[in-house]
Amino acid sequence: MEFDEMKKIWDAQNNQPLYVIDEKALHNRVQSKMSTVLRLTNISEWSLIMTYLVAGGILIGLNPFKRGANIFLYLEAIWMFAVVVYFVVSHIRRIKASRQFDRSIHGDLNHTISLLSYQVRLSQIIRWNLLPMGAIMIFSGWEAGKLFRVSAVILVSYTLAFYVTSKGIRANKRRKRELQVLKEKLETGN
Amino acid sequence: MTEKERLDILEEWLKLHKGLIFKVVRAYTVEDHDDLFQEIIIQVWHSIPAFRQEASVTTWLYRIALNTAIKWTKKEKKYAGAEILDNVQHLLQENRIQVDERLTWLYGEIYKLDEIDRSVTLLLLEGFSYKEMSAMLGISESNVGVKINRIKKQLIAKSKNYDNHGI
Repeated sequence: MEFDEMKKIWDAQNNQPLYVIDEKALHNRVQSKMSTVLRLTNISEWSLIMTYLVAGGILIGLNPFKRGANIFLYLEAIWMFAVVVYFVVSHIRRIKASRQFDRSIHGDLNHTISLLSYQVRLSQIIRWNLLPMGAIMIFSGWEAGKLFRVSAVILVSYTLAFYVTSKGIRANKRRKRELQVLKEKLETGN
Repeated sequence: MTEKERLDILEEWLKLHKGLIFKVVRAYTVEDHDDLFQEIIIQVWHSIPAFRQEASVTTWLYRIALNTAIKWTKKEKKYAGAEILDNVQHLLQENRIQVDERLTWLYGEIYKLDEIDRSVTLLLLEGFSYKEMSAMLGISESNVGVKINRIKKQLIAKSKNYDNHGI
């Protein structure tokens, strides 16, 4: 069969749609999926920002009213606010960067790869940020005479955060590798 | 743009160009037609505000459908599985028409290609020029040419087996 014949066979299907759409089911599915997909990345970014902001605010707000105000808790709050600034700047950079990709398949692949890199970086920062935060908290516990208790809480929190972020990081890295393979296939003639 | 206007545009595009999306769905999956179709529709819906009429609707839809299909993986299907089981409302039903066996064979051969080559083949069969394909894929025209030559040779060679066996 020559290619022109294949083209004729292909064109013939234009008069006979392959499927029939259930319009109502489509409408329901699109509506329900839209509300979740649309804001997913933004929600995760803003919930992180809010969590750090509120936690830092609570430390700053409550510390003066405690007996023997702890300097390390102020330090912890300042650290949290610095992380908030970093997250906000990253969020703005991500939005700006998303406008730089062209609308071709190559551009779209690049955009998705860059988004996945961003998500991996964000998860890694969350994970490693617990180390300085934990260290400050341990000093704070030491000053308050609760070294053992605070250290135990930090250890449990870090283990939990490490476990949760590891799964996300692994999944995003795998997805990124798959897309990079696709990009290479697109770029080469093979 | 209001949500109503966006949905109106989506409905109109679907009415006029659904065949195009069906072809992409059929070429990229043998089982989860519903899921890929839904994913493409959502991406089309997202893209509507960005549509500037610099390209034709067909070109725009093809690009979005192919972008989505290329990135659509088994992993994503697995995640979507729970939702589908909960909501067994099928979006697509096979149209009960006499399908040319050669077309079924052609889809089968396209499906055997990798994700990128499938896109190139669909665009080629749809009659897009090298220039249009180059813009849609984001690669050079010469690169498009190399891919097309290889794919054509491959399909023609396989069609000889098909002709010989009279499947």
